[in-house]
Amino acid sequence: MIPGRLTKELARICGRDAVIIDRDRLLVYESDALTAYRHRPGAVVLPRTTEEVRRTVQAVVRHGLPIVPRGAGTGLSGGAVALNGAVVIGTARMNRILAIDAPNRRAVLQPGVINAELSAAAAGQGLYYAPDPSSQTACTIGGNVAENSGGPHCLKYGVTSRYVTGLTVVLPDGSVVKAGGQGREAPGYDLVGLFVGSEGCFGIATEIEVGLLPVPEGVRTLLGIFDRIEDAGRAVSEIISAGLLPAAMEIIDGPTIRAVEDSVFAAGYPTDAEAALVIEFDGLEAGLDDEAERATRFCLRAGAREVRGARDEEERVALWKGRKKAFGAMGRIAPDLLVQDATVPRTTLPAILKGISEIGKRYNLIVANVFHAGDGNLHPNILFDRRDLDELERVEHASKEIMQLCVDAGGTITGEHGVGLDKKHHMPLIYGPDELDTMWGIRRVFDPGAVMNPGKVLPEETEPSHANRGQDPARGELVGAPAPA
Amino acid sequence: MNNQALTPESTAETREIVLAARAAGSRLLPAGRRTWPGAGGWTRDGGTPVSTSQLDTVHHYEPADLILTAGAGIGLDRLARIVGPNRQWLPFDAPGSSAGTLGAAVASGTSGPLRTRYGATRDNVLGLEVVTGDGRTLRIGGRVVKNVAGYDLVRLFTGSRGSLGIITRVSVRLFPIPGADETLLFAGGPSEAVSMARTVCTSEVPVAAAELVEGEEVGADRAMVLAVRLLGGPREVEESRRRIRAALGTEPWRALHDGESRRFHTARIGWEEGASLVARLAALPDRLDAALAAARACATRANGGAQGSAAITADALQGLVRVRASLPDVDPPTGLAETLATARRDVEALGGSLTLSHAPPQVATRVGWTGSRRETAALTERIKALFDPDSVLAPRCP
Repeated sequence: MIPGRLTKELARICGRDAVIIDRDRLLVYESDALTAYRHRPGAVVLPRTTEEVRRTVQAVVRHGLPIVPRGAGTGLSGGAVALNGAVVIGTARMNRILAIDAPNRRAVLQPGVINAELSAAAAGQGLYYAPDPSSQTACTIGGNVAENSGGPHCLKYGVTSRYVTGLTVVLPDGSVVKAGGQGREAPGYDLVGLFVGSEGCFGIATEIEVGLLPVPEGVRTLLGIFDRIEDAGRAVSEIISAGLLPAAMEIIDGPTIRAVEDSVFAAGYPTDAEAALVIEFDGLEAGLDDEAERATRFCLRAGAREVRGARDEEERVALWKGRKKAFGAMGRIAPDLLVQDATVPRTTLPAILKGISEIGKRYNLIVANVFHAGDGNLHPNILFDRRDLDELERVEHASKEIMQLCVDAGGTITGEHGVGLDKKHHMPLIYGPDELDTMWGIRRVFDPGAVMNPGKVLPEETEPSHANRGQDPARGELVGAPAPA
Repeated sequence: MNNQALTPESTAETREIVLAARAAGSRLLPAGRRTWPGAGGWTRDGGTPVSTSQLDTVHHYEPADLILTAGAGIGLDRLARIVGPNRQWLPFDAPGSSAGTLGAAVASGTSGPLRTRYGATRDNVLGLEVVTGDGRTLRIGGRVVKNVAGYDLVRLFTGSRGSLGIITRVSVRLFPIPGADETLLFAGGPSEAVSMARTVCTSEVPVAAAELVEGEEVGADRAMVLAVRLLGGPREVEESRRRIRAALGTEPWRALHDGESRRFHTARIGWEEGASLVARLAALPDRLDAALAAARACATRANGGAQGSAAITADALQGLVRVRASLPDVDPPTGLAETLATARRDVEALGGSLTLSHAPPQVATRVGWTGSRRETAALTERIKALFDPDSVLAPRCP
């Protein structure tokens, strides 16, 4: 609960219906898509404009409460969870596309615009927004900016930060700054690049300028079926080494295939296969068949049992179905799912996949892999039931071991989901005290009062002046049950 | 100013140099081989150059990963020779000498015309090791293509021009060299060339670069030449060529293939070299005509109204126009500062910017290296203070 005076003030700024303090309605905001972390916010505010955000931030800060920015809540790292009764500033009502500037292939929008809706809005002019996180029909561009989101097609096109060219940001002190946006040559430090991926710790982006791309004229989609996952990994490596640049290369492993085929999402993948590899090429029609043929040869040479091709949109959707519905299908096997997000050098994929499978066996856990193979971005999914405390403990151990395995292979702990609450205690696996210190420092550059999304990204125990801080640090462990209100 | 560069042979030695300078209260000027053009107003008061040219070891290169980690001092030319045999390249075609170092390319952060196709320098730097102004060695980012662990300090350092730290090691993403490389040169009058550029840039053909150059520079008898670069598989390039000719309704004045095409663009990369005035005018691509007009006014003034050395070029895909001139050492042409200031006002009114990469001090002082960025000035100061609290490093954000 927040003080009554603050509630009134927020209602004056944003309108009575824009302030949620009702306990039942706050339930929706308890977690993001990583449901293992649940904390009820003190209140949720839904402003419509930069000015309303600015005044909301000022009011909340004046009352000494922390702020958590939130898009659609589809994040997978607990980043939008409100710790310590924080006030959530949701962008749901900031959902206007302010301009689609087709001649310059760019758009200006509010942060609450849904990723897929931007592409839909630009489609009439032959343009689209390239980064395509799997949650693109629900997630917001503001959330994508906060997390520097990726997606299957980032293999060829790159992640969010490549496309964000300008930002209007409300800083925690209530000031509004504009960065970038002056063509492609904004002078000075790359503040836009620094802000993208800052996970709501630096401020709230209230206006976003992004680059758009022309919709590719043609697409070829292939599905390779493999009896051994290592062979699929090798095919990926060989395709890339040969100089081919597919738009996407995704692997779905055996356990995932079986989960999908057992569900209403059945996509027609053979259930005795150990890996399915989806490969997509796009661009001008001319040359696409050549590329698809070469990729097919690489798959067969690496040991693919068969390679299917899609010629029309319907077939293409069918081939992608197993990949796109994988998470939904897994939800039917076990009540809880821990998604990891490590990225490793592509050539280490076969060894890493073997290692993950061994860790799963050792802890008697089901680990299903669906991942962006071309980027080396793994998504091992550990399936569990959080009411089983013994299993929960094994999940934690296995999760940490998988992370360590990927880091030892030269990888990183998160490729696209962000650190949030979930991985902050893994940050010391890849960064030393000096790097973490510097990150604390850069956070204070934007947020000296530590009011923006505190308790995320950086582990409290690494904070230079940790002992002096009054705030109760929220730990990032998995919770066995919803936190008591 | 002592011009003798210090040349540390390791990261540890680089750190010792920084700590010693900090203790002595002296200034350092981070550098590569000192061939890179342009301080852009980032360096205000000298300092002893610290060249990372001895840090040129390749630490890690697995061709199948398309990722390379090397000391910041490795020359871009040597890097190209190492990865070339695997048909790979680093498409950083930022203005500057190919003898420049990888570290300097990252520190200057500017990108060339291939940016639309391959991403800018900032999009392809995966990890850095830096020695900060307060003598800390930081390893930021990593050597994987997707990484969102922690705040993006790699992007902050890319383009920070040595103002925050000395880059000692760099991990970059490489790309496969496309099977076909072709450049079509279309010649025309000034407005004709701009209109051709618009047609090409808004067509469905994925062109890798589209640059406008003055005809004289490439031996054409028309005022301007539009250079359209096509990269891809042979069939894709062939089809692209056919469609561009159809869209423009004309044959190219010349077509350059493979080696010829590459050499043409390599030569273009050195376009700014040796100039004492370089101004960059950024505008949205559909206002390229206005930016070109502003740039022409600057070039004419730089020539003192007479025939001179000044030239302009434009990256039509990005909406970036550059002006280059060799000015007399003592007296820059009268009115040059005023013309540059007017040009800046004109492009800023269109939502663009004008920055000076090179300018005689008298001009730079009057015009300012960049336009006003009051909104972000406080953040910029705090960032500098975080990494370099005692201003050991001479460069500052202008």
